[in-house]
Order: sequence, then structure tokens, then C-alpha cells
Amino acid sequence: MRNYPSEVPVSSAGASKAAAGADLRVSSLFEAMRADLLRFAMWLTRDRALAEDVVQEALLRAWRSRDALKDPACARAWLLTIVRREHARLYERKRLEIVSLNEALEKEAGAFVSRDDSDINALRSAIFQLPIEYREPLTMQVLGGFSVDEIAGELNLSASAVLTRLFRARNKLRTLYGLSAVADGLCGEVPP
Amino acid sequence: MTCEEARRVIGAEPNTSSRELAEHVQGCAACAEFQLEMLALDANIRRALEEPPVGTRFRRRVTSRPRWALAASVLVGILGVLVVWALRVENSLAHEVVAHVIEEPQSWTPTDPASQAEVAEVLRKSGLLLEAAPYEVMYARSCWFRGHFVPHLVVRTAHGLATVLILRDENIGTRETFHEDGLFGVLVPSAHGSIAVLAADGAQLDDLAARMQIAVRPMGNAAAAG
Repeated sequence: MRNYPSEVPVSSAGASKAAAGADLRVSSLFEAMRADLLRFAMWLTRDRALAEDVVQEALLRAWRSRDALKDPACARAWLLTIVRREHARLYERKRLEIVSLNEALEKEAGAFVSRDDSDINALRSAIFQLPIEYREPLTMQVLGGFSVDEIAGELNLSASAVLTRLFRARNKLRTLYGLSAVADGLCGEVPP
Repeated sequence: MTCEEARRVIGAEPNTSSRELAEHVQGCAACAEFQLEMLALDANIRRALEEPPVGTRFRRRVTSRPRWALAASVLVGILGVLVVWALRVENSLAHEVVAHVIEEPQSWTPTDPASQAEVAEVLRKSGLLLEAAPYEVMYARSCWFRGHFVPHLVVRTAHGLATVLILRDENIGTRETFHEDGLFGVLVPSAHGSIAVLAADGAQLDDLAARMQIAVRPMGNAAAAG
């Protein structure tokens, strides 16, 4: 049971106080989401320091636009979208230094130490090695809970193209389990 | 729907459940097996992604507070100053009590009652005892407030949850009421400092405050030392 209703005094001073209370709540909400956002950013960037930068910039941007967040229940999807856009912007702003995949894997090896399941560990490494065009929609769908249409809107692709990427991402991962890859007779992505 | 189309749909969204696909899978053992495989794979993909890749080994870089948090705190600070200016708040103690409660959202939705031992320990840290708690205590925590640890309790009353802060080091002259951020509150002097009671419903604040005034006692020296 929530102890604190949203009613606020109607005076301008009351409105200011309500705004302060609302800001505190938003600040707490952001902090509570931080771990999720970092995890998501980590899968996008494959670099923990970069992921922290992305999340930090995203949260700063989210804070400036906090009035746009009308429903706290939507905060997770809203923040994940901002993180994804911040990650995309990062690539637009500057060409990131290209590092070899092996180097990246070695650098982040500690992050992929599985506690008790070598299959999951192998899968995690395989996801890590997926090209961004497959890794991004897969992460958005599975980790972020976005629908195909939402992903299409975010990535500026057609729904058909997103379905293709998701199919190919999973198809690549199937082979890890000794499952035969499904014949990819797809005609290619339809431009948005 | 052909097998190729079915596998494309399943491969992209293993959990999808369109009528057309369901009908196809029902009549196609190979595609049914494929869907089971993909569902199992997807469960593992989820596990792989959900397990924090950085987990407990995540190294927080040595930086000061994040910029967004700094911006937030600056703004909150500015708003706070404006609020104080606007209201000419004389009773900053009440304001700080409200701010403290808002900043501790986990206290808003307690699920299980606090044990007697938990409650006793929280009060003991402030050298206090709670004799015959008037209501069930749902939340008990020793909080840092104005330079001291104070018992922060949430009790379940007939009118809902109410927050009680026992402020042993805050002496006030008279009873004061306040209404802020949707909370009704009362500050009452007690034999040992003061007590703040807050709730969404202001109906029985004075009754609860009076009961707490009676129930809260200082520990004896020996007990406090222990």
C-alpha cells in the first residue's frame, strides 16, 4: 500500500514543493534503474567503461527531459531507449577506435565468467561476438522487452528487416548448441 | 503458411502465438520440434543476457557522482531554496522530516511486519525502548537525521500506514502540524526530545503521537551500554 498520494497543494509554493518531491522520486527511480541500463549498455558497447559513459550521458539527458516521463511504469523502456540512442549518437559523433574482437574478449573476460553454467557462458560469448546489427535488436527484444514494431521504429527499419535480423541472430546462436542452422533463404532486408 | 515462413517467424519471435502459426505447428512435427528448440534456446539467451555481464566484478570507475545526479541534486537544492523562500518556512524540522521520508521509498511499501528484535535494536541505537508498541510495526530502521541516528518506524493503524520518527535530539516547544507533499504530519514534544508522525490521512495523527509519547522510554544506563 502506498502511503503517499500524489495530491499536492495548489499554491505556487506548494507546486514548487511538489516539484521538489517529484524530482527526488525521479532521481531515486533513475538510480534504481542504473544497473539495468548498464547491463543493456554493456551488451551494446562491449566495453564496460564506454557503457558507463553512455549510461551517464543518457541519464543526464533523461533528467533534462524528465517532464516527458508521464508514467513511472514506462520508465524502464523510456530509459533503455535513451541509452540506445545515446549509444547510436556516440557512433555518430566520433568514429570509435576499432579494437579487435579477441582484444575486447580478453579485456572483458572477467565479465563473462559464468558461475555455474558453461553453456550460458559460451552463449554469452557468442552473443558478445554477434555483429551490432544482430546484437542490438536481440538485446532490445530479449533484455529490453521491446516489440518488433518498437524495435523497427527505434532502428528506423521495417518490421520485416527486424524480423530478419532477429532470425539471423538466433540462427547463428543455434549452432552453439549443436543445432543445425536453418537454411537462410531470406531475400534480404527490406529498406525502411 | 509454409515451413520456411513458420521457421522464420519462430526464429525471430519464438514466443509468438499467431493463429496461423499455431495451426501450422499443430500439423507439422518438424516445425513443432523447431519451436521447442528455439524456445529452449531463447530461455538460455535470456539467462545469458540477464546475468549482469559485469556482475559483482563490475568496477566502478573512480569518479565523483554522475553528472546527471549532480544536475539533479543541484536542481533539487535550488528548488529547496525556492521553497524555503516562498513559504518563509520557520519549521524547517518538519520540512526535513518530510524530505527524509520521501527519500526512503522502501519504507512506503513494507510487506512483512518487523520483528520485535529488529524494532528493539533500532531503538537501542538511540538509547530508547518501545514499551508495548501501540500498533504493529511494519518497518524499522535507524536513520541518520540531523547528525544523529533516529528510529524510523512505519506502523499499521486502522487508517493505514503511518510513519513515526523518534527525534531524541530535537527539542520543540509546542505541538506543530504540517501538510507537505501530500503528507499530513504532527511534531509533538516528548519527555525525550520530540516525535514526528506522518501519514496520508491526518485523522489520527495526534492519537498515534500520544500513544508513542507514552510507549517510548529511555534505556537505563546499563542497558544502553549493553
